[in-house]
Amino acid sequence: MSTTRRDRTEAAVRAQRTKEARLRRRDLALAIASPVLLLVLWEVCARALIIDPRFFPAPTRILQTGIEMAASGELWSHAGPTLARLLVGGGLGAVAGVVVGLLMGSSRALNAALGPLFAALYPLPKIAIFPILLMIFGPTEVPKLLAVFITTFFILQINTVSGVWAIDPKLHEAGRAYGARGFNRFRHVILPGALPFVFSGLRTATGTAVVVITAVEFTGASTTGLGYLIWNSWQLFIPEKLYVGLVVIGVIGAALTFVITRSETLLLPWRRR
Amino acid sequence: MPEAPAVRTTELSKAFVSGPTTTWAVEDVSIDLEPGSFTCIVGPSGGGKSTLLRLVGGLEEATTGTVETMPSAFVFQEHGVFPWMTVRDNVAFGLKMAGMPKAERRRIADDWIQRVRLEQFATAYPHQLSGGMRQRVAIARAFATGSPLLLMDEPLGALDAQTRMLMQEELLALWEAERTTVLMVTHDIDEAILLSDRILVMSARPGRVKEDLAVPFERPRRHDIERSPQYAEMRSHIWESLRDDALAAEGADR
Repeated sequence: MSTTRRDRTEAAVRAQRTKEARLRRRDLALAIASPVLLLVLWEVCARALIIDPRFFPAPTRILQTGIEMAASGELWSHAGPTLARLLVGGGLGAVAGVVVGLLMGSSRALNAALGPLFAALYPLPKIAIFPILLMIFGPTEVPKLLAVFITTFFILQINTVSGVWAIDPKLHEAGRAYGARGFNRFRHVILPGALPFVFSGLRTATGTAVVVITAVEFTGASTTGLGYLIWNSWQLFIPEKLYVGLVVIGVIGAALTFVITRSETLLLPWRRR
Repeated sequence: MPEAPAVRTTELSKAFVSGPTTTWAVEDVSIDLEPGSFTCIVGPSGGGKSTLLRLVGGLEEATTGTVETMPSAFVFQEHGVFPWMTVRDNVAFGLKMAGMPKAERRRIADDWIQRVRLEQFATAYPHQLSGGMRQRVAIARAFATGSPLLLMDEPLGALDAQTRMLMQEELLALWEAERTTVLMVTHDIDEAILLSDRILVMSARPGRVKEDLAVPFERPRRHDIERSPQYAEMRSHIWESLRDDALAAEGADR
């Protein structure tokens, strides 16, 4: 009697689990199917001349061009500089932003001195400053790096200050009560407390930095980079290359975001639910 | 009394200034705490209970008057544990800040983790624990420092009623084994009677000590002291003493 009842319960649980697994497989299939379907549709339409293949070359053509450019090294001569500018300019900007943010978040005087100034500078479109940077530094790498630096600096600075302010006052107090002073206070209370905001800042900054570097490379100040590749391909009217540039810059942005998200899971085990 | 008091405050006062208004949270408090005693401060909410505790712990500076105390450790409510540290790192935190070598502080921390029965959770993070378990972490963290004086600010205030009663017995057992001097703020009269040797009843703002009561029950104590008539008498006495101030504090909020 009791065994049959338990059997029935177990069967019901198993059925529920199978159903859940089936639904999850379906979601994954749908998530992959929709972009694939779109690509196939694009391919078919381009080949059947329903859309103008001069403007919308078939995906296979773009892929082929991409492979050729990778083989000839042309692709890397553009992807390399863009990635380097993002990593060096953006990375330094992020570090500076976090350091300044931590100091401003924990010093009332520093925040009073710099807060309003930074708040006024932040909404300035960074790309609009670029000509000034060019004027000062000439057509070198410096103004490009600086444009990305400024972009990530402001985003990280603002996010870090919010992160420090978002720390529960009880935790500041607990730190103080247990003798965390000076550097220890930064290391064990303020930095870890602000890190969730720092990571959300890094994600925002990555997207914005990709936009800024592309725009900077559009200008005549650059003869390398994916932005230059896209702009130059448009001017010479080689749409395949334009699309290759577009795809690669997209991949770079996605890869950077992925790395940031992975590091967040590794570095903030206490945020995992 | 031959022994020096664990805490001595002399005509201690604290004012908070906010714009044109000045609020006296604590006024003219002079108390001595005997080493090894457990003292509770009860009083209306918004009174100066926590401020008095924070003055004793050095988290606030006195406006006038003086505080002399032994080194102290704080127990805050459950959200006072660091969410980014494991249970072990939380418990060892005070020792680490004091510069104790790693192996030694780990040994002491593990000992305290065991005493609050969290050995299976030493590497867990606070969000993985229940409210009662987080509170045990906070208590272990304070005891682990080895400080002769523990200052507790409504340590069980965030817990549900049953967990709270269990935690009271647990705290009682730990304290009866250690006999560290404790000064604790609570809004719960029953908790105060169960735990303490002495109860200080504070008035509404400005916070003064309006009554200083000795709690006569034998130790070790359990919740069953609630059944004695003496208990009921003491409870109603404290309530009567608090009632008017509590009413006034409620009215002042509106």
